[in-house]
Amino acid sequence: MATDAAKNKSSDDPVLQWVTFRLDGETYGINVMQVQEVLRYSEIAPVPGAPSYVLGIINLRGNVVTVIDTRHRFNLSSGDITDNTRIVIIETDRHVIGILVDSVAEVVYLRQSEIEMAPNVGNEESAKFIQGVCHKNNELLILIDLNKLLTSEEWSELEDV
Amino acid sequence: MSKEHDSGDSIRPPDDSLTSYFDDLLGGEDLLAQSFSTLQERPMPVAASSGGARVISLPTKKTAEDKPKKNTLRAEPAPKTLKPISTFAEPAALQTLEQKRQLEKLLQSARAQLLVDAAITTQVSTEAKPAFVNDPNEIQDWVIEIPVIEAPPIAEISDALDEQPAQVAQFQIDGLEWLDNGRPQWAQSRFDVLLFKVSGLTLAVPLISLGQIQPLTDELTPLFGQADWFMGLQPTPAGKIRTVNTAKFVMPERYDPSFVETAKYVMSINGVPWGLAVDSVNQPITLMPEDVKWRSDRGKRPWLAGTVKEHMCALLDIPRIGQMLIEADKNFLPA
Repeated sequence: MATDAAKNKSSDDPVLQWVTFRLDGETYGINVMQVQEVLRYSEIAPVPGAPSYVLGIINLRGNVVTVIDTRHRFNLSSGDITDNTRIVIIETDRHVIGILVDSVAEVVYLRQSEIEMAPNVGNEESAKFIQGVCHKNNELLILIDLNKLLTSEEWSELEDV
Repeated sequence: MSKEHDSGDSIRPPDDSLTSYFDDLLGGEDLLAQSFSTLQERPMPVAASSGGARVISLPTKKTAEDKPKKNTLRAEPAPKTLKPISTFAEPAALQTLEQKRQLEKLLQSARAQLLVDAAITTQVSTEAKPAFVNDPNEIQDWVIEIPVIEAPPIAEISDALDEQPAQVAQFQIDGLEWLDNGRPQWAQSRFDVLLFKVSGLTLAVPLISLGQIQPLTDELTPLFGQADWFMGLQPTPAGKIRTVNTAKFVMPERYDPSFVETAKYVMSINGVPWGLAVDSVNQPITLMPEDVKWRSDRGKRPWLAGTVKEHMCALLDIPRIGQMLIEADKNFLPA
């Protein structure tokens, strides 16, 4: 009986794993299921004519991967490349891209019920990238919806890069 | 503390110098109103009789977006030399009874289409020609193209219209109403206010609308993509307070960026997850309604209830601010 109750509870309130990373002093989380791997910073080859949010491309074991300037995408000020800088390879729908972050922190477990809706005030399009917020380990995590990071038109643009 | 009061509900003579002081201090912009003004107006088709012609005007996306305030959707007065070229032009004199009956039938079908347009609120995009003109003397010699929409049965239209109030039903916090005597509901008799400072300006809020006062800490987390008056989320034992940069909000023209460093507390608003960042909190005082110079026209800064000469402070209409904040939040879901 107790096991059944625990099962029901877990199905009602699933536990999700989030990879957290730092960007401009704040901590963000992305769904671990969408993270393929985390790379140390390597030289990114710029692509002439690419959209402003594209840093360039990298060669990942023979595959070309486009790297997004996450700070630019989130309307944050630009930052320096350090030893902690990482490229997180993520998969959304059928696309694989890299996002440049200041550092990768850890994997945290969050119950669905712990995630709260974030406000959306103002007219910036980037606000829609925020899936929710959660208070964990004495800090506020900003959870990112990677599926909204780029529009379908922007995905098409990336394919042309 | 209030000292001497006029008898009854007598209104004090306007204190122009005090009003202009606060007008100057608080500036002319209303950032919050601007940030969600685009959500306020939704164009609806309008029919109007003008002169000898009956004109139905449909909004285009262009006109609705270009001038949301001044170009509210209305038919312009008919110029004297207007040529009746609209498909809905009504001839001045009717030849026969049969023609009159046919015309009446045509008008009824036009009204049905109009109801359908209002019910389904579909954005109709027409040619780039403006639907309205600024100059009433300008001749509108272009043909209005009415999209053909099959009218659903009247019962369906009626159902759709009945559903509309449910769609626009909004969350309302307590204490919003202003009564006929020109005062808010919460100031009908003696009331307590808390004085606080924001970038050197003294502000007052009615205690009845306050939630709690929490210190601002390093945990205050800004969110990207938000309006500039949004400071961030402050985790507290009572939940995450969505913190407003009060200095930016009330006096954008005189905003001092150092406020982000000097702000020490957040005062939460009762009933909503929002709070105002403040530099310091002073003592509460008791006011009589007569102590306040209530604002009669609150169209420009609806969050400003009035001014208190005795304490040289502006009195905030906190319930109104709370309502504006939740209306500005596109993610807000009423409980």
